[in-house]
Amino acid sequence: MNPHLFTGFIGLSVAMLSIGAVGVLVRRNPLVVFMSIELMLNAANLALVTYGRFTHTMDGQVFALVVIAVAASEVVVGLALITGVFRRGRRLDLDDLSELRE
Amino acid sequence: MTAIFGVAAGIAFLGALGVVVARRTLYSALALIVNMLALAVLFLLLDAQFLAAVQVIVYTGAVMVLFVFIIALLSPGAQERLNPLELRLIVGVCAALLFTVVVVRLTLNGITVTPSGHFHGTIGPFAPSLVDRHGQVEVLGEQLFTTFLLPFEVTSLLLLVAAVGAVHLARGHGRRASQ
Repeated sequence: MNPHLFTGFIGLSVAMLSIGAVGVLVRRNPLVVFMSIELMLNAANLALVTYGRFTHTMDGQVFALVVIAVAASEVVVGLALITGVFRRGRRLDLDDLSELRE
Repeated sequence: MTAIFGVAAGIAFLGALGVVVARRTLYSALALIVNMLALAVLFLLLDAQFLAAVQVIVYTGAVMVLFVFIIALLSPGAQERLNPLELRLIVGVCAALLFTVVVVRLTLNGITVTPSGHFHGTIGPFAPSLVDRHGQVEVLGEQLFTTFLLPFEVTSLLLLVAAVGAVHLARGHGRRASQ
């Protein structure tokens, strides 16, 4: 494998992580924020598999599988929470949902 | 291989941008699906065939279908105006660019890759040629059930907790609404 591809994989991974972080901080819709978190988890997966491939170990892939399971459970619980918020008649806007701050 | 990487990485990057930039929630979800499919291609390039299949089945299949379902249920037409000159957006983009440059520089600091595609120094026993000879799923499964047995069991517990939690959240509100 071309050695320069390592730079490419890591660069793409970090770029995706940054984009996801901006999405979490800037967007107001909780669903989009959740999707940005998924994006960041995917970026972490890419970095894990890249390092696993370039160190000739299986650890990266096993850890990526665990991350996928964590992401799936997080989505299930998070979407249940969002549905609950919506059912209580609240607008889906993170700037409105700030009771915990006060 | 470099050409495939370029195309897939470009698509993944554009999909990631689309998630944050798209005004409609559903378009964000579709951009995320594109991003995940491109990531599956990248996993294939990294000799992780099983993970590429899991990526398509679990992420693109299960998780994103759930997302699209919830979007269709809650707010199919919701739009969010993202003013490009807003202060927090500018600060966020600048911080993200800085973070990307710094972390990539730090990551590559001191790492050299041999022409055959692995790091200099000590490397593990699972060379891609050996893994392909034994079968990707077989090697990964053996590792999962021997070296990584405890994380695997903890993962199953986590999935159980998530399922119970989701059922509890859904039922709790249903009972309150019926009273």
